[in-house]
Amino acid sequence: MTKANGLGGAAIVGVGHSRLGAVPDMNTLALQYAAAHDALQDAGLTVSDVDGVLTTPIRVENWAMPCGKVAQALGISPRYLATIDLAGASGLAMMHHAAMAILSGQCETVLCIGGQNLLSFSSKGAAVKKLADAGWAHPDFEAPLGPLVPSLYALAAQRHMHEYRTTLEQMAQVAVTLRSHAALNPHAHKQDVLTIADVMKSKIISSPLRLLDCALVSDGAAAFVLTKKERAKDLKKMPIQIAGQGYGHSHTYIGDYREVIRTGAINSGRDAFNMAGLKPADIDIAQLYDCFSITVIIELEDLGFCKKGEGGAYVEGGRISIQGDLPVTTHGGLLSAGHPGLAGGMLHVIEAVRQLRGEAGARQVKNPEAVLVHGNGGIIGLHATSILVRG
Amino acid sequence: MSTISIPLDTDQFWQAARPLGFALPRCLKCHEFHFYPQPACPFCGSQSLELALTPGEGEVYSFTVVYRAPAESFRADVPYIIAIVRTDAGPHLMTRLCEIAPEDVLIGMRVKVRWKDDQNLPLFEPMQES
Repeated sequence: MTKANGLGGAAIVGVGHSRLGAVPDMNTLALQYAAAHDALQDAGLTVSDVDGVLTTPIRVENWAMPCGKVAQALGISPRYLATIDLAGASGLAMMHHAAMAILSGQCETVLCIGGQNLLSFSSKGAAVKKLADAGWAHPDFEAPLGPLVPSLYALAAQRHMHEYRTTLEQMAQVAVTLRSHAALNPHAHKQDVLTIADVMKSKIISSPLRLLDCALVSDGAAAFVLTKKERAKDLKKMPIQIAGQGYGHSHTYIGDYREVIRTGAINSGRDAFNMAGLKPADIDIAQLYDCFSITVIIELEDLGFCKKGEGGAYVEGGRISIQGDLPVTTHGGLLSAGHPGLAGGMLHVIEAVRQLRGEAGARQVKNPEAVLVHGNGGIIGLHATSILVRG
Repeated sequence: MSTISIPLDTDQFWQAARPLGFALPRCLKCHEFHFYPQPACPFCGSQSLELALTPGEGEVYSFTVVYRAPAESFRADVPYIIAIVRTDAGPHLMTRLCEIAPEDVLIGMRVKVRWKDDQNLPLFEPMQES
């Protein structure tokens, strides 16, 4: 594996998002439009500069070809477009595919966009049913048994607790820490601080997971813009580059996978670190995917920040807080900043860019140089890892 | 060439398998069992598969007690126990545990198949200590 960075010819030059949380006055297309223009404004570009469009599927409406629908709504006639679906890893995959499209010469400037009104599109509970029906459980051999999406992650959590003595308090610590980060993020869906007792007293959903161990359901959209390095130099914000990228897939369903707590993050992290020529100790911030509290603990292990089985102890003692050894998910993540579906992981990319630029305000980590961003799709089986640095 | 066609969906699969007992797909080439059903052996790629009887016993690999039903049709069942069972034949599968209270379930507990009354759906129940 070469240490040369093959993706250095492209850069992230603009990031943005719509209002996050409960946004009942905007539908999906309006949210995406707002996010796109926020990102373009951040870059100092307009839609006429964009010749590539990438997006990811939504759940709340039946869009036959999302990339075409979004391009048309924005008034873009793209030379390159695609709808990319790696579930929760879609944000990182869009970013990487944009860089590859630019480096191949297919286009010059790509707008990546995603999001939906997942909270407000219908009645209370509709999102939970929509997610339960979305195929995360095997449609023939698992869904008829009645698992929630949290049940599928609960099976991983229960096994992790059994093998490694991971505790409910340790999982709660993840939710508490990320909420403390969200409290410093004026855009976050939930900003009220939590205690471990709050998490442990919250409603039981699917044991051992309680309500506050689970991601939010939010309205919102996110976007970022990539362009070629030469163009990036002339734009108003500091360009951010992809130093390393990796993918991994260990399983599609949790029920028939024989090692549920060893995930595709092992391979995605290995490849991203190798491409960047870095190791876990070189990472200043880890924007980990946090659909559930247990997800963060398993990712810390599989990405090599600690040994297998030590993720629970790792999150204790403030180590993953903004002042800690490894600040994790500094915007508050899916647990607290917002989770509008497949686009949720895009917010982790946006936060990485803001941290590297020094734009993170009250939650700014001191002079970060290398930020790892991780996306996880399905039931902790499909993974993408990126390492971002200043251009 | 596939020697038999193994159905890939749940009703048809168990309809075919259940007359044999708790039968699972097995590769005729490398002799490994697999489940859920796949178009070819996930270990060696062979399409020569058979349905072979297994004892229908195993242990609880993990479990969760569901307190919030994902749909109206499951509401009467709450709370119910969803488990991953590691069968003695090798494959893991998702199932429900029956004949046991949620607070009594332990990972590693020995369980055996108990067919749901009127359906071709294999649930698991604790094995009696002997």
